[in-house]
Amino acid sequence: MVLVLAIGDLHIPHRAPDLPPKFKSMLVPGKIQHIICTGNLCIEEVHDYFKTLCPDLHITRGEYDEDSRYPENKTLTIGQFKLGICHGHQVIPWGDLDSLAMVQRQLDVDILVTGHTHQFKAYKHEGGVVINPGSATGAYSSFTYDVNPSFVLMDIDGLRVVVYVYELIDGEVKVDKIDFKKTATASAH
Amino acid sequence: MAKERIPNWLNSSLWSTTPTVDDRLHCFSLSPTTTTTTAAAAVSEPIVQPTVPVSPPAAASRPQSTVTSQKYEFRDPIDKNSNNNSNDNDQNASPSGVSPDDISRQAQLLAELSKKVVNFRELRRIASQGIPDGAGIRSTVWKLLLGYLPPDHLQWSSELAKKRSEYKQFKEELLMNPTEITRKLEKSAVDDQSKSESSGLLSRSQVTHGEHPLSLGESSIWNQFFQDTEIIEQIDRDVKRTHPDMHFFSGDSPLAKSNQDALKDILVVFAKLNPGIRYVQGMNEILAPLFYVFRNDPDEEMAAAAEADSFFCFVELLSGFRDHFCKQLDNSTVGIRSTISRLSQFLKEHDEELWRHLEITTKVNPQFYAFRWITLLLTQEFNFADSLHIWDTLLSDPEGPLETLLRVCCAMLILVRTRLLAGDFTSNLKLLQNYPSSNISHLLYVANKLRSQASN
Repeated sequence: MVLVLAIGDLHIPHRAPDLPPKFKSMLVPGKIQHIICTGNLCIEEVHDYFKTLCPDLHITRGEYDEDSRYPENKTLTIGQFKLGICHGHQVIPWGDLDSLAMVQRQLDVDILVTGHTHQFKAYKHEGGVVINPGSATGAYSSFTYDVNPSFVLMDIDGLRVVVYVYELIDGEVKVDKIDFKKTATASAH
Repeated sequence: MAKERIPNWLNSSLWSTTPTVDDRLHCFSLSPTTTTTTAAAAVSEPIVQPTVPVSPPAAASRPQSTVTSQKYEFRDPIDKNSNNNSNDNDQNASPSGVSPDDISRQAQLLAELSKKVVNFRELRRIASQGIPDGAGIRSTVWKLLLGYLPPDHLQWSSELAKKRSEYKQFKEELLMNPTEITRKLEKSAVDDQSKSESSGLLSRSQVTHGEHPLSLGESSIWNQFFQDTEIIEQIDRDVKRTHPDMHFFSGDSPLAKSNQDALKDILVVFAKLNPGIRYVQGMNEILAPLFYVFRNDPDEEMAAAAEADSFFCFVELLSGFRDHFCKQLDNSTVGIRSTISRLSQFLKEHDEELWRHLEITTKVNPQFYAFRWITLLLTQEFNFADSLHIWDTLLSDPEGPLETLLRVCCAMLILVRTRLLAGDFTSNLKLLQNYPSSNISHLLYVANKLRSQASN
């Protein structure tokens, strides 16, 4: 039972001052084992804040991040799953699922976590699953101002992942979940 | 109170409560060879029982305020343990040899245990003198004394099976993490979904009852799980610190790890079943001897189920002492403070001089030493083997473990009275917090003598 937080595109301080208070009250230290951050935090204070939630933090570089040392993409293994992170501004067309699937095959991961579109998406294809946690602060994106704050919490347990989607809609936190299992044949070991 | 200063020779080891083998042999100038002949004699008459030390010989009933009476105290266990021959005196001092007294007691216990229906009064009487280590019957006797095994032999297997499956159920229910719980609740939905779609947007489903990992709701299983995690962490820390000097409990061997896991599971199940008291530091020390004894049962089937058995016996044993662990009850009539003041009162009744010196003159508040003695049932004051002996008496005494415990604590104080009377606050406190190792049988004998006897 490993809890992994997938979050990104906060754009603090340029486009948003802070996380919504309702999100902040839920994110307390001690519950989450890993944090996966797609990028565009943008400043170090946000990095430090995430570090207080969980010491195991993985970030990739978004185009507005002030820290240039973050990698372009990253892979890690949690339990039975291989996860990959990439901000997504490098993948053109932005948000195109086929192109993202290419990246996923390149990184050879079961779950690809990507961002940049500021829209939550969870998509499954033969190669695996692509998850976009959206923007945690609801910051405006390159396409639209109409962005609901959202982030994703994954509960990895053996071969099964339960993805909890937290969205702030009209001032209320809505939680949905998505279940999926990794079939043994899909992993090319 | 002695007006003159205690002369130095009085503080020699001869008068102390830790008689060495040599001292005692020397005192009574007997050769060891005589013991072997009496051993043979004792075996042939297992029915002969040592005189129960309730009516002490006249010498010992002398008041204990004079130094010479201390010497008589040493003679008493000798007389008490003699099988009509006063020749075996090294039985208590020799840890490895099986004394004739031990053999006779062992035979009696085995006889009692093999009866169809165990006579509890008899069992208690024999067990209170100590259960010999060699025979491996301590496990069964403790289970009987704690009421885990019924007196009728025929019911043993059914009772045990019932209790063990109950424990297994507790473990399954309570040690599940929330992921498994939610999975169980929604078993049917998951399988349908994964088969239907090969690619496309993953369908979202509603979260049931607002159950998500970051939930802050009181009734949320996730929230409860995270709150329990703190307690589980504390239990884990304490279990790892239990008896670090014993290979059974500590170290990297797989045996120690499995024992630690068992202890942890028992304490976690207990904490979850008792939300009022949860887990308090110290409960691990009370559980440890129980688990040790049951795990080392020569009968393999019993040893394998030691975890379940220890759980129920732990609950039973703790039921008499629960209130000591509850912080809110500290100042009430059932809390630890009131028990400590009872001990103080007890001491006052039996040895006013010592009581006065301790509490009033040197101001050694009994809380400083008795707290650990009472809450941990003396497991920390003596070495492990000795504390098992003390527990034999605690568990078997018909007056109940708490009363017996108070008597033993009082006896502990009385046995070191010379040093206490000669000491000031610092030395007394130091002595009582690091109680010197002593002859346990002697200690228990003195404790027995204090049994509802108006002191003189």
